Amino acid sequence: MAEPGPQRGWFVFGFRGFAEPRGGGARRVEPEPGGIRLVRPAWSYTGLVTGRGRLALRGWLAGALPGHCQDLLPSESHVLLLRGAALEAWARGAGLCGGPAWRRRLHPGEAARPLPLAPGGYVTPRPPFLCPLPPALRARKLVLGHEHAALLCPAGTVYTWGCGRHGQLGHGGLEPVLEPRLVEALHGVPMADVAAGGWHSVSVSEGGDLYVWGWNESGQLALPSKALWPGSVLMATCLSQGCSQAALGAEAVDFISIQAFPALLDLPEGSEVSKVSCGSRHTAAVTRTGELYTWGWGKYGQLGHNEPASSDHPRQVGYFPANGLTVEDVVCGPWNTYVCAVEK
Amino acid sequence: MSQPSSPEGLATSSCPAADQVSAGNTMWANIRALLPNTKEDLKLDFSEKVEESVISLLQQARDLLYGAGSLCSGSTRETCLQVSEIIIDYSWEKLNIGTWRDVDKDWRRVYSYGCLFKVLCMCSEQGTIADTIRVCDMGLLMGASILDNILVRIINVLQKHLTCGKRSAEEDTKESCRKKIRNDHTTVPSIKSKEVIPRVHCPSLEHFRDNYLIPQKPVILEGIVDHWPCMKKWSLDYLRQIAGCRTVPVEVGSRYTDEEWSQTLMIVNDFIDQYIVNKNSIGYLAQHQLFDQIPELKQDICIPDYCSLGEGEEDNITINAWFGPEGTISPLHQDPQQNFLVQVIGRKYIRLYSPQESENLYQHETQILHNTSQVDVEDPDLVKFPKFERAAFQACILTPGQVLFIPVKYWHYVRSLDVSFSVSFWWL
Repeated sequence: MAEPGPQRGWFVFGFRGFAEPRGGGARRVEPEPGGIRLVRPAWSYTGLVTGRGRLALRGWLAGALPGHCQDLLPSESHVLLLRGAALEAWARGAGLCGGPAWRRRLHPGEAARPLPLAPGGYVTPRPPFLCPLPPALRARKLVLGHEHAALLCPAGTVYTWGCGRHGQLGHGGLEPVLEPRLVEALHGVPMADVAAGGWHSVSVSEGGDLYVWGWNESGQLALPSKALWPGSVLMATCLSQGCSQAALGAEAVDFISIQAFPALLDLPEGSEVSKVSCGSRHTAAVTRTGELYTWGWGKYGQLGHNEPASSDHPRQVGYFPANGLTVEDVVCGPWNTYVCAVEK
Repeated sequence: MSQPSSPEGLATSSCPAADQVSAGNTMWANIRALLPNTKEDLKLDFSEKVEESVISLLQQARDLLYGAGSLCSGSTRETCLQVSEIIIDYSWEKLNIGTWRDVDKDWRRVYSYGCLFKVLCMCSEQGTIADTIRVCDMGLLMGASILDNILVRIINVLQKHLTCGKRSAEEDTKESCRKKIRNDHTTVPSIKSKEVIPRVHCPSLEHFRDNYLIPQKPVILEGIVDHWPCMKKWSLDYLRQIAGCRTVPVEVGSRYTDEEWSQTLMIVNDFIDQYIVNKNSIGYLAQHQLFDQIPELKQDICIPDYCSLGEGEEDNITINAWFGPEGTISPLHQDPQQNFLVQVIGRKYIRLYSPQESENLYQHETQILHNTSQVDVEDPDLVKFPKFERAAFQACILTPGQVLFIPVKYWHYVRSLDVSFSVSFWWL
């Protein structure tokens, strides 16, 4: 994560909780004393960790905790914190009063790792909070979807497990997988980053190539999505005007609802990707040249195009170049997108 | 988040426009009359599974609804519509996490409330009635019953103000419908005498129990549904008239084991236009509890008396509609309940294999299709599935007025020979 400087800032577009009306373009995130070190959005609120280790929650749940906060995993039911030398789960309803509902001290020698990774396994926002991982599996990063998980190893291999009904595991089938399983289709291509949406997964190779798999219901894989094409309208019009079936066939597009194996996704102009993040049903990628591309569900403005439309192909977000900004980082909340950008 | 509610409540609040005597205002008044009188009567009780942020949204929508002026001000209505959309979109995500049967019923209720609030915003704005009915149907199809089935009651009011159902009714006269329904060029499979399923006319309960139910033997019952109103009333015309604007699930593709098979939602008029009248591809309104969604159609059918021989309550009988063109295929599969398959319109070719033949039927190994055979019954690959040839079966061509008893776990394969409407009763 970039150190905040005077000309660097965070921006947000998309769902902003329910106090504010929908829509509108990008908005600058109110800065924090000491700068914003981490942005971790949940659905109805967002958690920020400042450069001084202060935790600030903004949105439907407002609150703050003083220093020593290193990381957080927010959700609608609990806020998980890595604070001091302990993992804590605070019940969401109580705000940040009364103390954590669950706590586990880190033992000496147990390194603090980016959440949801935790000593011996990973944390989830639901009891029992701590899930074990096979000790032989070394993890660099772990990401959680609505019902699956993906893990990146130091060697650049990717493991997935959980529910596979929407192809989100990338093993080619739709069956659930209980233990972490290597995504063999990516074998031989070392990965540098991995992200999980609600029901889809994305990884970035060390060479900057993007791979996508899972559910394409809103175009979140940037593959042709039926929901985005008014097919039924086309069909009805054709029927009433007496089009032949051949004419219909010529118009037909091969829609993809479920992509059960990783598919290589080319960004326009062959741009190489440096960072990627997934919302519940959308995806955002930062290129090595500092551009931001988004695709998928756009109803709440989360694609940053100043309109509520979804897109099943990558589109560059024009706000940043228009304002002389280079994008450095992106963090998607379920229905919104936070972007760190710096003046050129 | 909560806002002060208007002391006078819903019943007496009135829009400025209510002074105008118009059909739209009558409709809105009739729909408002279906709602609880006061905000306090519209209770929003949910289990802990439903998060507080969502409850607060539900309360916000309710407060806007019961607030001063109800939904008559444009900005209030716009806010309420946005809140409803958020509730619908968020609970929709919850409904898609885990398998359908594992989804907590409270999330389905939240979804229905989202639809209800959205519907009320649409009604007060006098949006198109057909669109409003679609939202109600989404609540009925994906949600769970709320406020004494208020979405069904709202549709009843909306349909009284709807004129679109008549459009198609004028187009097809009854005679042309009949012509389309009957298909004379399909080759009808021949059935050998040893394969014939026995037929019996109006057996007594005891006779059916002792000779078919207890020994679990298939039988065709005749004469028991002749008096059901559906036998005379149902036609494409009638279905358009009663259900034309209602949204239903449709299976697209000839059989559910095919790669290209998918499910979609469409209104009955479009389904009839695209798949019954025109035959570009196969679409099947299959295994849908249409009679819970449209109680008016339930009045045209009865529950067979023989179901009383089961141990289950009548409420636990699952009634499904199966409506489609010629050529729909249900691959060979088994169900965990007894089944009465009532043929109302058109003919169906049906094959039955006893559960004892299971080892010859090659069921799919995946969890999802475990109750389904891999064999294409009418064109079996005997190299791949050699034992299938030795499996004994029974067969019939089920015609209107006949009822096929399919015992629990009996394997069945069904192909429609005409435009067909069947009603199945699953019971135990």
